[in-house]
Amino acid sequence: MWDGMFSGMLTGISTTLIPMNIAMVLFGCFMGSLIGMLPGLGPITAVALMIPVTYGLDPATGMVLLAGVYYGAIFGGSTSSILINAPGEAATVATALDGYPLARQGYPGKALAIAAYASFSGGTISVIMLMVFAPILASVATSFQSADYFALMILGLTAVSAFAGRGGVLKALLMVVLGLMLATVGTDQTSGVQRFTFGSLELLDGIEFLLLAMATFALTEALSIILKRDASSDSLDPKLIGFKSLKVTKKEFKQIGPTIGRSSLLGFFIGVLPGAGATLGSFMAYGMERNLASPEEQKKFGKGSLRGLAAPEAGNNAASSGSFVPLLCLGIPGSGTTAVMLGALIAYGIEPGPRMLTASPEVFWGLIMSMYLGNVFLLILNLPLIPYFARLLAIPRNFMVPMILFFSLMGVYLITFNDFDILMMVIFCIAAMALRLMNFPMAPLLLGFILGGLMEDNLRRALLIYDESLSFMWERPLTLGINLTTLFILLFPLLRSFLARRKSGGDSDDREVAA
Amino acid sequence: MLLFSMAYGLLAFRIPLSFMDQGEFFTSRTMPYALAVLGTILSLLILVMPTVDPEGKRTLTEETHGMDWKKAILLVVGMIIYGLVMKWLGFIISSIVFLLCGFYILGERRIKRMLLAAIPLVLLLWVIMSALLDVYIAPGEIFYMLGVL
Repeated sequence: MWDGMFSGMLTGISTTLIPMNIAMVLFGCFMGSLIGMLPGLGPITAVALMIPVTYGLDPATGMVLLAGVYYGAIFGGSTSSILINAPGEAATVATALDGYPLARQGYPGKALAIAAYASFSGGTISVIMLMVFAPILASVATSFQSADYFALMILGLTAVSAFAGRGGVLKALLMVVLGLMLATVGTDQTSGVQRFTFGSLELLDGIEFLLLAMATFALTEALSIILKRDASSDSLDPKLIGFKSLKVTKKEFKQIGPTIGRSSLLGFFIGVLPGAGATLGSFMAYGMERNLASPEEQKKFGKGSLRGLAAPEAGNNAASSGSFVPLLCLGIPGSGTTAVMLGALIAYGIEPGPRMLTASPEVFWGLIMSMYLGNVFLLILNLPLIPYFARLLAIPRNFMVPMILFFSLMGVYLITFNDFDILMMVIFCIAAMALRLMNFPMAPLLLGFILGGLMEDNLRRALLIYDESLSFMWERPLTLGINLTTLFILLFPLLRSFLARRKSGGDSDDREVAA
Repeated sequence: MLLFSMAYGLLAFRIPLSFMDQGEFFTSRTMPYALAVLGTILSLLILVMPTVDPEGKRTLTEETHGMDWKKAILLVVGMIIYGLVMKWLGFIISSIVFLLCGFYILGERRIKRMLLAAIPLVLLLWVIMSALLDVYIAPGEIFYMLGVL
């Protein structure tokens, strides 16, 4: 196993160290940081916006670029969270809890530097773990059958909904179903029959995944800045952030060191869970660190605690790498961003999953090694650039929003050169905007859309093998195990609320007895 | 979403069955049927189930209170017009006009700044696409009609 890992690492290093790929990691980190820093734009939007750029590149180079964008966007999101309390996406909300108060106390540079060091360490630890765990899981997954894949996809889709948060599970599940519905538009690959095309030639090949990603994320996020009159960037004075303010003392390093180690490990294992992703990783790391802190230290959480800042930063970066494990080994995305990357891989003609390790080792290992290189670049190059990046946050939204809209529309048009796609994007954008206003999450929709075709194929195949009987759902021990996990994840929110209600009921009973 | 799921289910009945599908257990309609049923059940559950939020379910009016609808709608209209005129005016002119209109809708009135932001950006993208990435971007049909090209 170790021989395979080392030879794989060498393949990855030789792929990554091609000058073109180094340049792409650098460019990806840079662009990711810039886009991720813009309020409202997160890693999903950043990766979706950059996909058109990668279409002319070979698959390994393209994926290396997208991985750089992903890391850069998470780093950029932390910057806007800390400086203007505007998290680009849910994964950096926990960063703002202590990062923004620290910045308000006059230490914006220190907060940004700690976020960068924690992200780097979290990324490094998780990439090492990814190198160890991904090949093991991939070798196990070669014995998977269609029935297992179908069950795994149900697990992934359920998990992404179950982690949607209080009150949002049903809405997230409905969005998954909507994504699956949209995936059925076009020609059925098995029978050649047209479904929901309404006689339109443009819909014969189905809905373009990039079109849907841009419409549901980039366009709607830009429009919601206008709708909600978000002027969060107007309060920032970029001159406040200079090179000297980035210094972190030895004592502070000692204080955050163990926090980073713990949070990275926790973040990685949470990221591996399909559907959990960086958001849960950052919040759980923050929660764990607060529970471990002394009562005196606990009081500082939420008021500018260094540990409270380092924990979610290490956690979300580690979880981001962890979410690549199900993507690369099983072909099931672990988060919204990896769902977009799965779409890009499929567009390149690469089938993610256990066979990817043998069929396209340069993409598999190149991606892993480039993630590490991306981490190094982010630390060495982006840290000194923070004072300049911060100026981007001062761009007035009058200019920023039309430019985001323009890049999103162009990203799709310059691939298909079809005016119909622009109009379809606008229609999807209006529908997505309406759903967002009613608090329907968009990531499950994208995940459902990307997995829809694969899911139908695997179900059809499994039914063919098992003589048109659904008995494969409980007859195969592996499938049964996955289905039981799905059931547990689905019932977990109900169980949690039941236990909480019982506990609060018990407390009130106690109080009544005491009275 | 309830109406959408029901309409989707009704349209699923109209999916033609191929010769291969006749008598099969799993046809091109099976997945859409299942999804329509699931969508309907989930939509009904959302409507019927009580909310866990102590403040109750927020109405759409409460959710959208104080939002800047005028500018957002104008931008959406701008995007539709951009999609419609792209073929006729070509990439460069339509993009510059779209950006200028976008800046104007959002309250920018300094013409010089607007031009300095829009023109170099569009030209730079055009140069990158056509000169560096070798992607052919067709000029607008108006140029052929006017006899310029």
